[in-house]
Amino acid sequence: MTNRKAPLFAVSCSLLAVAINGGKRSLREIPKAALIVHDPKMCAGCGVCEVMCSLYHEGVLGPALARSHVVRQPFTAEHSRDTCQQCSSPSCYSACPLKDKAMRIDQTTGTAYVVDDGCTGCGACVDACPFDPPRISINLQKNVASKCDLCRERQAGPICVEYCPFQALKIASKDRRG
Amino acid sequence: MSRIYGWAGKVLQVDLTDETINKVPTTNYKPQEFIGGVGFNAKIFWELGCPKVDAFDPRNPLIISVGPLTGIYGPFGKGEVCSISPQCYPDELFTYSGFGGVFPAKMKYAGYDSIVISGKADGPVYLSIHDGAVEIKAANDLWGVDTFETQKVLMNDEPEASVLAIGPAGENLSRVAVILSETKFAAGQGGFGAVMGSKNLKAIAVRGTGVVEVAKPDRVMELARIIMEENEKLIPRLRSIFRVPYTAPQETRDVFARKYFKKHYGCYGCPQQCHSIHHIPGIGLSGVSCADWLWAPTFSIDPKEIWEANVLSQRLGINTFEGIIGLPFLLALSLRSGILTSKEIEEDIDLPTPKWLGGTATNHEFLTALLGKIANGESPYAGGTARFTEHFGKRLVSGKKLVELYEELYTARGYVFHHVDNLGSALHWATDTRDPIDSCHDYKNPSFPEANEHFGLPRYDSYQIVDLTKTVYQGAERVAAWVEDNQCLKNSLPVCEFWSMMPNFYRPPGMDIRIFESSMLSAATGLDMDADQLAKAGERIWNLRRAIMVKRENRTRENDTLNEPYFRKAITCLAGSATGLVNGPIDKAKFEALKDRYYDLRGWDVDTGWPTRAKLEGLGLDDIADELASIGRLPEVPS
Repeated sequence: MTNRKAPLFAVSCSLLAVAINGGKRSLREIPKAALIVHDPKMCAGCGVCEVMCSLYHEGVLGPALARSHVVRQPFTAEHSRDTCQQCSSPSCYSACPLKDKAMRIDQTTGTAYVVDDGCTGCGACVDACPFDPPRISINLQKNVASKCDLCRERQAGPICVEYCPFQALKIASKDRRG
Repeated sequence: MSRIYGWAGKVLQVDLTDETINKVPTTNYKPQEFIGGVGFNAKIFWELGCPKVDAFDPRNPLIISVGPLTGIYGPFGKGEVCSISPQCYPDELFTYSGFGGVFPAKMKYAGYDSIVISGKADGPVYLSIHDGAVEIKAANDLWGVDTFETQKVLMNDEPEASVLAIGPAGENLSRVAVILSETKFAAGQGGFGAVMGSKNLKAIAVRGTGVVEVAKPDRVMELARIIMEENEKLIPRLRSIFRVPYTAPQETRDVFARKYFKKHYGCYGCPQQCHSIHHIPGIGLSGVSCADWLWAPTFSIDPKEIWEANVLSQRLGINTFEGIIGLPFLLALSLRSGILTSKEIEEDIDLPTPKWLGGTATNHEFLTALLGKIANGESPYAGGTARFTEHFGKRLVSGKKLVELYEELYTARGYVFHHVDNLGSALHWATDTRDPIDSCHDYKNPSFPEANEHFGLPRYDSYQIVDLTKTVYQGAERVAAWVEDNQCLKNSLPVCEFWSMMPNFYRPPGMDIRIFESSMLSAATGLDMDADQLAKAGERIWNLRRAIMVKRENRTRENDTLNEPYFRKAITCLAGSATGLVNGPIDKAKFEALKDRYYDLRGWDVDTGWPTRAKLEGLGLDDIADELASIGRLPEVPS
């Protein structure tokens, strides 16, 4: 059920976000419990969000190590994007055997984030994610879990939102989801 | 080199006859000297001995390369195909064609800088690449299927694959067949779709789950910000111009913008996304950009007819420049100038004549007949406009005049006119192996004279042919040489045509296009290559291409020319709305003197147009000088 509702949330949140903030926000302004919403109507499927995500977080370029995933549909132009939906009670966090060491909750934004040094890559979080495909994956190069943390240490906020050439990505407050 | 950054690291060699698959290190091909793209393709072709075979001979290699910047954020998303071209006329020459989209990045993520395909499969096959797993698979069910449907099938079988495919035109060896990816990204000029067809190779499907490792990620991040800022400046120029049929009347444009435009799209990782997608129910969804719109207004201003022309040629895998622009233009102008009658077109040439050909057929009937003949490989239609004209030139009463008209429209080597409106461009046309369309905008920078001067070049307005009172031949050789080297770089790094022009990234003295490219290359690869060294790499690649022409094609000064009418009369050009803009003629004697200066500037022999040993060795191409000497094609140095 949850994942079927997700796109509806995404669309409504994105419309809301356009109305509220016009797209760009700095990290300081990101409300607690926020998420990045994708507007499929605006998305060109260009992959800029993927390459910038992998560059910022991993120092390499390519969708394989990005924390979001664009599914490009060249024959319909209806591109979708899979990324962490920033659950209020994250199953990934609950499932982590090294809770608060390998996976923690960011006190500013409420996002669950992985601490590379503590993570053993056991994959319990991946199995626990309620979405299909899971929005958390194992970075096989480093053998640690990898998920969107809203670029929690980046002053300018999520790099994908900043670099999206079509403002198809927005930060929305989860409070608005009701 | 123990560890390689920027480049993927491997060259994939596939022989379809023996069904052998090899992977060799990219370092075998000196990446720091030949960069990638056309540079790699030319180097690989040279190492293969520049085979003197026909385009459809199994020994003709089809070479596809990306570059060290492919897969990185920015205007680096294209790949380059090189092969012996069935479209070149009268001789089949080794030439190039770029293509954008997602395939090049996926190929890089799969681990390959180049794919070299030779031989010929027994029956229809496709090449499946999933990172290190490479297989030649049967494609019997896909033979005869159009480019869109072929890709859909393969993307279903191999989820998230990116596909290069040919349509019926390529299968049936039409010399104007393209290799297509998605709806719009094509290696168009060259007829390389038919080279794939001649190898029984229907498609290449690639899945890449690797990444591009860069030497200095922080520096790449800094340059990404510059790219983002530059993109903001380019958006109004690119996206808005090509969103609608810009040559059609306003109301046609409005209909596309309002009713049919769906969204922009473009190459992977590029913020510009300069192509656009439109959808007209009943005809279909497809992509479009600059030249694809040129069916309007001459043949139709009806949105549905404009769109059908595009979608049909894309599905059949036909070069739009030939099938829906070039040949129809030749026929229309033949009728207008009294060379052909409507009856001759209808009966002798066997094509339905719509209103603009003096008849009553619909555009739909004309298009399906013409594109059908091309896609079915029917001679002479599938031979391209050059061979079509040669055929009917011998058979029709006014055949001689038809050939003459062709020679006006097709500037050189069987390629249709596009921006031969200044002397630099004319010289580039004369010295290349095809139309240098991917550099035409470099010759069109009238608004940026300061950028010309920054690079030590004459001001744009001085070397135009458009206004004969202002034409100055002196200095055009420097413009052509700069643009040719720039072309080699943009097709090797690669950098998009629209981004690689002089005025872009222009913030002197600290930043210009060459400084930007060398900075990005250094950040990606870790090589310390400054702007001058990079410019030298461009010159090296152009010299290697010249050496291939000299060795394989016996190229000499005599061949460096345009079709004869360009030196005799004003040419009504096809650019834009296909009206007005009268150029020329080019003064033959002054053009020959311009060539003298060009060869001299290039360090080539003025009598033969062959590169000299001194020039080749100065570029580190000693082995090439030795090889040319051994076949007697290295100029004698006067003692």
